[in-house]
Formats: sequence, C-alpha cells, structure tokens
Amino acid sequence: MTDETATGSADPEVRRVARRHISDFEQWRIVTFHQLGHYLRTNRFYGLFGFATFVSALTLAFQLDAGVATVQLQQLYRSSEYLSNFLVYTGLWVVLAAALFGGDALSVDFSTGAGYYMLVLPIRRPVLLAGRYAAATLVTVAVVGVTYVFGAAGAAYFFGLRAVPWLLLFESLGVAVVFSLAALSVAFCVSSFIRTPAAGVLFTLVALYVAFTTLEQVVELAQIEPWFSLTYAGGAMAALLDTDFIHVQAIPVGEDQYYYIWSATVIEGLEIMAAYIAFFLPLSAVLYQRKESTG
Amino acid sequence: MTMGSFEVAALSKQFPTGPPALEDVSFRYEGSGAIGYLGPNGAGKTTTLKLLVGLLRPSRGRAFVNGIDPMDRRKDALWDVGALIETPEPYPTLNVHEALDTVGRARGLSRDDVDREIDRCHELLDLPPLGRRIGWLSKGQRQRVSLAATLMGDPTVLLLDEPTSGLDPAERVLVRRLLTGLKRDHLILMSSHQMLEVTELCDRLIFLHQGRVLLQDRAERVAERIRPRTVDVEFEHPVAADPNAVLRGIAHETQVLSERRWRIGFDGSDETRVRLLSLCQQVGPVTQFANSTLVLEEAYLELIPKSPPSA
Repeated sequence: MTDETATGSADPEVRRVARRHISDFEQWRIVTFHQLGHYLRTNRFYGLFGFATFVSALTLAFQLDAGVATVQLQQLYRSSEYLSNFLVYTGLWVVLAAALFGGDALSVDFSTGAGYYMLVLPIRRPVLLAGRYAAATLVTVAVVGVTYVFGAAGAAYFFGLRAVPWLLLFESLGVAVVFSLAALSVAFCVSSFIRTPAAGVLFTLVALYVAFTTLEQVVELAQIEPWFSLTYAGGAMAALLDTDFIHVQAIPVGEDQYYYIWSATVIEGLEIMAAYIAFFLPLSAVLYQRKESTG
Repeated sequence: MTMGSFEVAALSKQFPTGPPALEDVSFRYEGSGAIGYLGPNGAGKTTTLKLLVGLLRPSRGRAFVNGIDPMDRRKDALWDVGALIETPEPYPTLNVHEALDTVGRARGLSRDDVDREIDRCHELLDLPPLGRRIGWLSKGQRQRVSLAATLMGDPTVLLLDEPTSGLDPAERVLVRRLLTGLKRDHLILMSSHQMLEVTELCDRLIFLHQGRVLLQDRAERVAERIRPRTVDVEFEHPVAADPNAVLRGIAHETQVLSERRWRIGFDGSDETRVRLLSLCQQVGPVTQFANSTLVLEEAYLELIPKSPPSA
C-alpha cells in the first residue's frame, strides 16, 4: 500500500485551554484519588468494612458482658496480651481486603471497558498501577484500622488508658501496613495475568489463604520452618504484642524427640513481606505493561 | 497551533489464532480534517486504532501519533490525543464530574480549566447532570460522557471508533454537528458504519477489508468513481402501471414501494438514467427522481465484498 500524505487546511487558531506537562508523581496522585473515590463507594468496601466493624464490635460486646475482672484474668492482666489476642484476625482482614481490592485491580482494564477509559490517557502504566496500589493499600488499612481502634478502645477500658502499649500498638499497625503491601503485591500480580476479575479475586483468596496455610502445615509436618509463606510472616503483627513470644516451640513427643512449631519474629516477618513486595510488585508492573487490550 | 498527525507504517497485527487482523497497512495524515475509516466488522478498524494508542503491540511495522510511537513513549505520544475506542466504561461509582475531572487533570489542566472544560463539554454534548453517577446513566448518556472525556483538554488528534454507536438519532445529529465543527482545527480518524455520518463529515476515506487497505482517497474522488445503481422515483399521483413492463430491458430490478413510489436498479450509467427518467415521465408526472442510497454506501458495497472475512 502506498503511503499517502494529506495536509488539511488547518485554521491556525489559539487553543482554548492551556495544558501543562505534569509529572508522573502528580498523575500518580490523581490516579490514587480517582481509584480511592471508586473503592470507597463499592459494595465490597461497605461489606468488608461493615463486617470488620461488626466482628470487632461483637467481640468487644462479649468482653463487656463478661466483665472487667474476667477479661483481665483471661488476658493474664496484660493489656498487650489482650491486644495480641484481639488482633489475631488482622491477617484475615488483610487477605480479604487484598483479594477484594487487588485481585481485579488490573484485570478490570482488560475485561471491562474501564481500560478503554483509562489506558488511552497519557499516563504511563506503572503510574496507573502505583496509583491503584496506593488506593488499595489505603482501603485495606482502613479495614484493618477499625479492628485496631476497637482493640485499643477495649484495652483502654479493661486495663486503663495508661496501661495500653501505644508504641507497640502503632508498631503492630505499621507491620500490618507492610503486610497489606505484600498481600496486595501478590493480588496485583494475580490480576495482571488473570483476565476475569472474579477469577482474580478468587485466585488471590485461594493463594493467600488456603494455599499458604495448607503449605505451612505440610512443611511443619516435615519439620521445616515455613519461611517462604506470607501468612506465616503475617504472624509478626500479633507477635509484636505477645509478651510471651517464642520463635520456636519444642513440644516433646517422645524420648529426646520434639515436634517444633515456628512463629515468625518481627524482623523475619518484615523480611519475608519485603521479599514478596520486591518480587511481586515489579513483576505485576512488567506484566501489566505488556498486556494487550484484545477484548 | 500544533498540527496533529498520525501514521501507520507497514503495520501488521497477528493474534495467536485466526488470520492476520491487519496486514501491511500504511497511511499518514497531518494537519486537520476528518478521515473516515471504513470496513465491515472484523476488517481491522478497531485494531488499527488500538495500535495507534498502544493498546496493542504491532506484530510488524510501527504506529505513530504526533510523530511518537506509543510503544516507546506512551505519555508523550498520547499527550495531545483523545481516543474513544470500543465502549469505554468509567467507574460506575463515580459521578460525571469526577470521571471527567480525572481525565482533565491527568491531561495537565488546572482545576479551573478542568471546570471550564467540563462546562464546555456539558454544553456541547448536552451531558447528563454532573452529579449523577455513571452507573445510573443510560447507554447514550454514558457514550456522551466518554466522548466528553475524549475532548477534555481539546487534544489535536481525535481517534474515534464508531463515535455515535449507542446514540439515538437526535444525539447522533448533535455529535455529527460537533465533529463537523471540530474537524476545522483537529485531525480526526473515525471508524464508522454510518454512511450518512461519513458522507457529511469526512474529507478523506480509507476502505479496509480483511486487514488490508483497499482504497484511500478524497471523499469526492471516491464519489466520482462510483455510479449509484439504484434510484427512487416518486409520482405525483398513484400509478397502476407495472414497472417491469414499462422498464423492460433497461432496469435490472424494480420494486414497488407504494402506489406512488418505485425503486429501480440499473447499470448506473448516465445514459440509462436519462432513459429511465423519460420512461417514468411517460407513466405520470414525476415529483422526485433520486439515488436511493448514499453514494458512499454504494462505494462501500462495491469495494467491499459481501462475503465474510475468511476464517
């Protein structure tokens, strides 16, 4: 086919609007707020936030019903023990949030018309990914945060405001944020290669919850520390508050024979989480960058 | 004012299965005006547009917008481009203002300019109330919001894939008028099945079939090459005559549309046309004698075989 060049009769007219080239960082902020505005109005967010609030409130209600003395006795008169137990399901909230907000964060562009709205804009795909990642992290932290708020309120009520280990609590929240980042990295990676959003959500849930938990138990039977597991690393959130924390528990099962149970230390947990972020997030970016809109 | 341009150079696209979606397609346009991109379903029109904005990677060849390959420098390539491809779906949870605000700000508009642009688009496209959620809009309203998003920031190059699909007749007229105004100082590549739209709007045409360019030329030159082969005749009074008998040997086929109207198929020559008119006038006073289809529709049918693309 011969090339054809055609020049129309352009009427040199002053442009109506002035546009300035904006940085990737500014675009990242725009995408983050756009995505956050979306997430905060989804049924998923209402459902998960409502559920986390309900479970936390119900736990607190049962404890209030049991009375201060009983709760103090149960928690060995330690507010950190109380918090450690109260926040034991934080990992589950993170996994659920990561699956619901990250499992289809990228696949939505290739399975619905959302991509034809956003991917034709002059925004680099890694910037789009980073904006969505930040928004997903914020909503995940919001869901997790509600359990921390109820936990802190309960600790203050049962043990007194001064007895609450605020620094440890914030450190634990910090670990929960890192855990959220790691879980979302896995979820984003899943959504960068699975086309159907529902399948992405389901796959993330299965991978993060069922597969890791099962694998952890299997390797523990073989008496190997599950250092590769993200959910194992998630134990660091509660470990931080556990005053009787033991990294390796040796349970005697015979003469000179022990069965070992491992719990991740805070440092170990953070290292595993960092490794997940370092591996899965760049991988998601590469896969997302290469993905084509064939639908 | 910046001059827009787009170019595809020996562009081919092969998906993992099926025949090539696009094969060695080349064209280049710059300046302003509207280019109609025509072809049956599966011809490769949308594939070309997707390649131009980097939604697909070429198997061979390259695509450039404003001189930049979107596969190399996506942000720079799309900076001055508005693209409406397939059916864009802004998040249904956002309202119209929020959906457009994101686009305007991502294109480098200040907050004030975004609001001005939204007002301009609201006026131009008769947008739904800005506070209404996208998920509550009708298909046509959503399409107009997507078109508004395409126009936010007034990009020089507009790549439009069936821009009036899903719109009612009144909305189509609105969009046609808008595009007719825009083509004076924008470069528009528009794929469409709507021949009326193409006839009214496009200065140049590219006919595509089975991934290959069949013809590209000025619209009037294409029209000159095509001789319409169907006319509609309207008589002043009802006629009882049998058109087959009256036009025997001249008309290829005839159809009685009503008591006063016939449709006549013929060889398309001016000579036959004159003879047909003369014979019809013998039947009764003729009030109208005109091509029954658009010239470009005839061109489309002549250039593009009816058979579906080979599997």
